[in-house]
Amino acid sequence: MAGTGRAALHDDAVLRVVDLVVEYPLDRKNVVHAVSGVTFDIQKGTTLGIVGESGCGKTTVGRAIMQLERPTSGSVELDGADVTQMTRRELRAARRSMQMIFQDPVSSLNPSRRVKDLVREGLEVWGLSEADMPPGRIDDLMASVGLGGPAVGERRPHEFSGGQCQRIRIARALVTDPEVLILDEPASALDVSVQAQILNLLEDLKEEFGLTMLFISHDLAVVRNVSDRVMVMYLGKVCEIAPNSSLFDQPTHPYTRALLASIPGHQLDLPPAAELISGEIPSPIDPPSGCRFRTRCPHATERCAAEEPTLVETSPGHFTACHYPHH
Amino acid sequence: MAPVDATAVLNDVGERAAVSPSADIASTGASQSTPPPRALGVTFWLAAGWIAVLLFVAVFADLLPVRDPDALGIRTREVEKFERPGWNAPFGGDGVGHDQFARVIAGTRPALIIGISVTLIGGLIGMAVGLASGYLRGKLDAVSALLIDMALAFPGLVLVIAVRAAFGNSIYVFVALFSVASVPAYARIVRGATLSLSERAFVDVAQAMGASKLRILWRELAPNIAVPALAFAFIGFALVIVAEGGLAFVGLSLDQITWGQLIADGTGEINEHPHVSLIPATVMFLTILSFNLVGDGIRSHFAPREVATRRRFRTEGPPSPSSGGSTLRVDQLRTTLHTQSGDVRVVDDVSFELDAGDCLAIVGESGSGKTMMLRSIVGAFALADVTRSGTVEVEGTDMLRIAPDELRSVLGSHIGMVPQNPLTALNPVRRIETQIIEPMRAHRSISKSQARAEALELMQHVGIPDPERRLRDYPHQLSGGMRQRITIAIALANQPKLLLADEPTTALDVTVQDQILRLLLGLQRDLEMAMILVTHDLAVVRGFADRVAIAYGGQLVESGTIERIFNDPKHRYTAALLSSVPDLELEPHSRLVTIEGQPPPLIDPSPGCRFAPRCPAATDLCHTTEPERTDDEDRWFRCHFPVTGDAEIETAGSRSTRPADAIRAETQGVN
Ligand SMILES: Nc1ncnc2c1ncn2[C@@H]1O[C@H](COP(=O)(O)OP(=O)(O)OP(=O)(O)O)[C@@H](O)[C@H]1O
Ligand code: SF4
Ligand code: SF4
Ligand SMILES: [Mg+2]
Repeated sequence: MAGTGRAALHDDAVLRVVDLVVEYPLDRKNVVHAVSGVTFDIQKGTTLGIVGESGCGKTTVGRAIMQLERPTSGSVELDGADVTQMTRRELRAARRSMQMIFQDPVSSLNPSRRVKDLVREGLEVWGLSEADMPPGRIDDLMASVGLGGPAVGERRPHEFSGGQCQRIRIARALVTDPEVLILDEPASALDVSVQAQILNLLEDLKEEFGLTMLFISHDLAVVRNVSDRVMVMYLGKVCEIAPNSSLFDQPTHPYTRALLASIPGHQLDLPPAAELISGEIPSPIDPPSGCRFRTRCPHATERCAAEEPTLVETSPGHFTACHYPHH
Repeated sequence: MAPVDATAVLNDVGERAAVSPSADIASTGASQSTPPPRALGVTFWLAAGWIAVLLFVAVFADLLPVRDPDALGIRTREVEKFERPGWNAPFGGDGVGHDQFARVIAGTRPALIIGISVTLIGGLIGMAVGLASGYLRGKLDAVSALLIDMALAFPGLVLVIAVRAAFGNSIYVFVALFSVASVPAYARIVRGATLSLSERAFVDVAQAMGASKLRILWRELAPNIAVPALAFAFIGFALVIVAEGGLAFVGLSLDQITWGQLIADGTGEINEHPHVSLIPATVMFLTILSFNLVGDGIRSHFAPREVATRRRFRTEGPPSPSSGGSTLRVDQLRTTLHTQSGDVRVVDDVSFELDAGDCLAIVGESGSGKTMMLRSIVGAFALADVTRSGTVEVEGTDMLRIAPDELRSVLGSHIGMVPQNPLTALNPVRRIETQIIEPMRAHRSISKSQARAEALELMQHVGIPDPERRLRDYPHQLSGGMRQRITIAIALANQPKLLLADEPTTALDVTVQDQILRLLLGLQRDLEMAMILVTHDLAVVRGFADRVAIAYGGQLVESGTIERIFNDPKHRYTAALLSSVPDLELEPHSRLVTIEGQPPPLIDPSPGCRFAPRCPAATDLCHTTEPERTDDEDRWFRCHFPVTGDAEIETAGSRSTRPADAIRAETQGVN
């Protein structure tokens, strides 16, 4: 779009991101436009999936919500409070109710610590101890994520498989009882059979703890499985945001259609991918004017170069940022 | 590609693959499967023993029943001038009849005091500087990095000599001097380790959890730096002792007896009475050696190398009789890696054939041995001690038993390889043109201009726009997709009969993956090549290959046409694997079928079926007897109790019509 626009927002959202912009200065003249005006929200107890190709800004959105990157502009509201305006102390408190799980499960655990300490640490950084929590909280959590048994807590991460490390990370993220969980490719580094375990586990935990989730992945089949709504990003912009089934059954943005058509062995009713997309992704340092997808879009016209499309509702709850959406 | 490049390509897939058999064992979770840290070995313990003896001597020097080191033999008559080593004086006497044994013992304490204090003071300051500058970065880092570099470039010994001359010869001066001089080296090594550690995600995670910088430094980074720093400290210790010896030699030693002094004192008489110098020199040498050995031992103990440290390839047993005809014939291929933790059976009784124009996908989870199957065909292993048996024939040539130079020419002319990561597979400092032309000229006698013309044609073939200009580019000037097109062009440079592609699109985006796979499969069909496509992605297999083989625990458990396998899997593992993958046709929030338990160990695998510990249908027979190969229409499988296709178990094709929980209950069972 791809585009900007607030049409897709809800009143009862737990997390609301408005006009988020993240730019990384490269040198005196150039900046990387990693995220350029992204707006979306997530309703309580639901999962929003973000898909897009490498470098489209998915991870940056997650990190900016956590304030691991300070956004260049825009706001991130958690339960109505803007975390971008918070002082360090307020932010520390806010982070308790937002947790992020990173892509690589093994390297995101400190290899020299015991598992139980790693989970407990989720509390300690808040100046809390096990005593502040309901008795057995940590053991219960370890059991919830499938790491029950007394001996497990004594071991160190390198003794665990990738799937088990991811369970540890999840337990640690949940120890402060967060409201929002951001997951960046939580299962991509895992084997398929283990990936299935983690995806099932996340669904169970979402029920058990009433979590609101932001699920970032490049794998469309995985996003299809876990999400309630799906947002497609391209080069730092939102292309399309829609309920899960609606997005996969009636994709309207040309980029979404190309992305879906590229899934190997898919059974969707789409022309071959080669007819829907051409060329290479442009540099985020100097993105195209107007619609950022126009250099690769088979339907692009002069209007697409001149005017940036905004998100428009094409069917109930289904928003697309394209001048000529597919019907 | 040229033979050299062929190995390089595989090494790229490689570092991971070479280590993966045991690394995967390491990751299988159960306590028994954690590899034991590398054994420390006799030399380490001898060295540690020597250090222990030195420590004992240093502490109890005054209580030991030896002579006064300063007693003059010429006066006491107890030790002769230049007495030879013997019962009376084990290390002999020096020019004034000092008992050398007593003097060497007296020198132990200063040596250790200097070594330990310098290492502690210099090491701790260096570690603090290195940690802070590596983690906090910014201006602090810029300044300290500059200071470190300047300090390391400065001729430290000159400074030490000058200051030592000015401030006298007390041990404190010495310690202070050497501590200061050793800070930069420690700081540098710790800074490097910190920089790379703080790239790791757990630092981000700690920050995301709200941990303070100090806490991250202390709790997250410092413990991980401790081991490399400790290893370096032992080596640093040895350096301090060497330095003291050096200073003694130029007459700038301490006001106490030191080994360096003893050596220096004896050098005047080195021709007539060599023992006076040589014995303390030997003690010093053994000490330095011991500290180095212990330092190295610590380092390698905590960073175990899974693969053998030597390279040795062997072939066992006779080949099976050749049937001729097929492009690639693999028969009862077995590959064993001999490692520190044991023999890893990475490929175990694998057989298949490929004709011209065939494309076989080998699919499996990590550690199932799929990459090793490819490497076993071409005999490219990183650093390893490998035994292969069975048969691999490429165009009728026995790949396991031919001479190395012949192997190189077969590799270069009959086999093309497409690597996983195009970025690391291409040489960053050489032009695309050179990298395509080189393999051509290595295996065919063609002129440079002819090779260039062919390269141009290849570039067009693999869909590179403006090939003239691109030939002169360097790899970094191209996008990931373009680079992968180049590696395909290189693989095709000598019109190979067999194309081996290991995860060729795993590093690429889905829209690019689609383009590259279409290109690769199109070329394979047009040029009638046989091709193996190794991947973990079932969707890719389903969308692109003709035939598939499923790898599990170093074996192939089932193989057949895509149709047959995807619609009607027979082996229990195949069936479970197919239904564990999320699929677009599945309703959102469907429960996925999982396979409980862990992949099997490749060291001492259990007898019987490798899948038995995780298989819900396993019986005693499965645990004791390896299933034979059963041939079925368009496929074969190895399972005692294959899926029958009735209501008993679901298959991938029809599962979306059934509640996933029911499937799950059926497929889990045992664990
Ligand atoms: N620290 C940084 N400095 C400069 N550029 C950056 C930095 N981090 C990210 N970028 C750039 O910002 C853009 C978006 O990156 P981001 O990591 O958010 O992408 P992504 O969608 O998560 O990709 P992937 O699928 O590869 O994880 C990319 O062009 C990336 O190169
Ligand atoms: S039609 Fe125009 S606005 Fe729509 S995606 Fe293509 S270029 Fe963008
Ligand atoms: S042989 Fe036995 S254990 Fe192995 S897959 Fe078949 S039924 Fe399961
Ligand atoms: Mg990312």
